[in-house]
Order: sequence, then structure tokens, then C-alpha cells
Amino acid sequence: MNTVLSRANSLFAFSLSVMAALTFGCFVTTAFKDRRVSVDIHVSKVMLKNVDDFTGPRERSDLGFITFDISADLEPIFDWNVKQLFLYLSAEYATKSNSLNQVVLWDRIILRGENTKLNLRDMKSKYFFFDDGNGLRANKNITLTLSWNVIPNAGILPLVAGSGHVSLPFPEQYEATKSY
Amino acid sequence: MLSVFKSIPTHMDYKGQKLAEQIFQGIILISAVIGFVYGLIIQQFGWTVYIVLAGFAVSCLLTLPPWPMYRRNPLPWQPVAPEASGEPTQKPQESIKRKKHK
Repeated sequence: MNTVLSRANSLFAFSLSVMAALTFGCFVTTAFKDRRVSVDIHVSKVMLKNVDDFTGPRERSDLGFITFDISADLEPIFDWNVKQLFLYLSAEYATKSNSLNQVVLWDRIILRGENTKLNLRDMKSKYFFFDDGNGLRANKNITLTLSWNVIPNAGILPLVAGSGHVSLPFPEQYEATKSY
Repeated sequence: MLSVFKSIPTHMDYKGQKLAEQIFQGIILISAVIGFVYGLIIQQFGWTVYIVLAGFAVSCLLTLPPWPMYRRNPLPWQPVAPEASGEPTQKPQESIKRKKHK
């Protein structure tokens, strides 16, 4: 501690250790918080097509088009340890060939400071709703769920499903629009 | 260019070094506690970091330069021996004194 550099080294290392302890404290204050919020999803229109699929092993696959509304208030999730939320809407269903299919239809990133009240109307899906085969036609039960991944400043990244989902049957024929 | 910086005296005596270490540790710890509580209240971790950085800046100002309060207990060296006769007898005394202060 006899020279400036030696004192500066000691001071800087101490500050970094204290900063690490504060970050751990930040993590501890929010580690056991429940990150679920109620979500309201409504589907207004569903259309089904059977198109050429160049990504799979067969000639034609089912392609679904969904128009949906989402409303949710994500305000309670944000605290001093949340940097952003990664939301995604996924469809889950069973077919004759696969017992569980999960397809992500739409996603969005919400940063802290942005508007946290979601009130989306007549949204189209961002990604193609392709089925692995032809199992979407006349499917009785397709469940849409909004889930999110919480990205913190310090700690674990929990994957949380919103407590509100909607199940709907798909049309019996191709190129026929079904409205709800 | 570097020799200019090396010629500036930056030493402190031992009690001064201990005082400097206590001062900066105290300032950083107090700013950490204040920053943590303030960040927890307004729910923004950025403010915690800003307050700790402010504490770091204040500590730098107070402890990095060799202020006079860190030089109040200088080591009592032997007086400088005259060149001609007293040298051989003074040297072993000086080395014994230096070992004691370590």
C-alpha cells in the first residue's frame, strides 16, 4: 500500500468483491417469486390448407392459419432483477402419428420499461403452423398457451406458462375458414 | 514520460496505510448498503451500481493521493552519519534498527 498503484489495486478488488456480493443479494431477493400471471387468449379465425412441404419427408403437409387475440397484464412479473421477458405462443396437440406436437406460432421480446399491458387484436402467426404429416384436419383438440422466459440480471432463467389457455378443434376440410 | 510520474512521491507511513485501508473499506461498505436498500426500494438495480460507483470515486479521491494525514507517523530513522569517520560503526546500528521496524 506504499504506492498509488498498490492502493488502487486493493481498492478496485475490494469494490468488485462487494459488487459481486450485492448482485448475489439481488438474486436472493427475487429467487422464490411466483412469475405466473393470468392470460386471456381468444381465437377468431382458423383456416387449414394442405400444401407442398419441402422441409419434411413427404409431399404435402397440413398448414394452419390462425388469427388470435391476446390480453395479459405482465406488470407484476417485472422487478429489479428482470431485464426482459421472452414471450411465445405455442400450439400443442396430438395426432395419429405423434402423441405430442408443440409448435411455436408467435413470439415477442418485452424489455423492462416498455408497456407491459398486452392487448393484441387480430394477430397473425409469425411462423408457419406446419404439421408433421396431415394430422391437423378434423383434429378435435388444439391447445394454445402463452408462455414466457424470464431473463434476470442475476440468477436462474425460469420458464413459466401463463395460467390461461384455449383449446379449439380444427376444420374438417381444407380451404374452409372457421370463425369463432 | 513515465519518469515524471515515478518521481512524484506517493508513499505513506504504516499507520497511514492502515488508516487509508480502513477509510476506503468503510466508504465502499456504506455505499454498498445504501445502494442496496435504495435499489430495493425503487426496484432498479442500476441505481445500486451507480451508488457503489460513487462510493468508489469518493474513496479514490480520499485514499489514492498521499494526503498529509497519512504521513503523521513517519519512521524514526537514525540521523545521517557524517561521511568521514563514523561510517563503519553507524552501519550495523542502522541495519538492526531496520530489522526491528519490519
